[in-house]
Amino acid sequence: MKIGVLVLEGPYQHQAADSAYHFIQAALARGHEIVGVFLYTDAVNNANRFIKPPGERNLAQMWDELGAQGINIVACTACAKFRGLTKDLAVDHVRLSGLGSLAEFIQAADRFVTFGD
Amino acid sequence: MSNKVAVLMRRAPYGSVYTAEGFRSMMGIGVFEMDVRVIFVDDGVYALVKGQDPSALDMKSLGDGFPMLPDFEVTKFYVHDLSLAERGLTKDDLVLVLSRSEGMGVEVVDSATIARLLTESGAVLPF
Repeated sequence: MKIGVLVLEGPYQHQAADSAYHFIQAALARGHEIVGVFLYTDAVNNANRFIKPPGERNLAQMWDELGAQGINIVACTACAKFRGLTKDLAVDHVRLSGLGSLAEFIQAADRFVTFGD
Repeated sequence: MSNKVAVLMRRAPYGSVYTAEGFRSMMGIGVFEMDVRVIFVDDGVYALVKGQDPSALDMKSLGDGFPMLPDFEVTKFYVHDLSLAERGLTKDDLVLVLSRSEGMGVEVVDSATIARLLTESGAVLPF
């Protein structure tokens, strides 16, 4: 099955980003295809390459590794501007793009799943 | 999948960014030939109340923004009757009634209709 994912919360404050990540890993393990992950609102902060959580899981790195595996991960450009997340500050395998990507993922997916508060 | 997308407004219009972003998401995806329906439930119904003035919060009124959604092919609005009633609101309190002449109406619907709208949507974006 083709699955699209929307994430609405930033790292660490809420479970949403972790849940999305683990959902994606589980879906991939079962042979499903992830058509795209859209990081919206505070979720764009998941892509901050300077995230260095002492002694805990590094969500930015986790997303980056997922992106490196070929998963299409997009952080909302406008949301990134609001939060000062420039392209240079984002991890290598998360791309900044607009809401058109969200529309594209919705259209390409058999199921579309949102993780938020 | 179905090109029907439901944007579900669940929260009060100010105090958090969700309603404003739900609004922005509709404008973003409405132009991509998707059939967007907007559903207001719980505190989400406050987003449609007339006479909003959030200027003291340095925010723009969301209610004023909704009538411009037809420009983005977003014309279907549904409001949950029970959520309105629980908050002492009626259809007359809502902004979209003013835009009926432009072919954009807000429909007050019951829980079963909300459930049907969500079920038949290919994707639901909950804000």
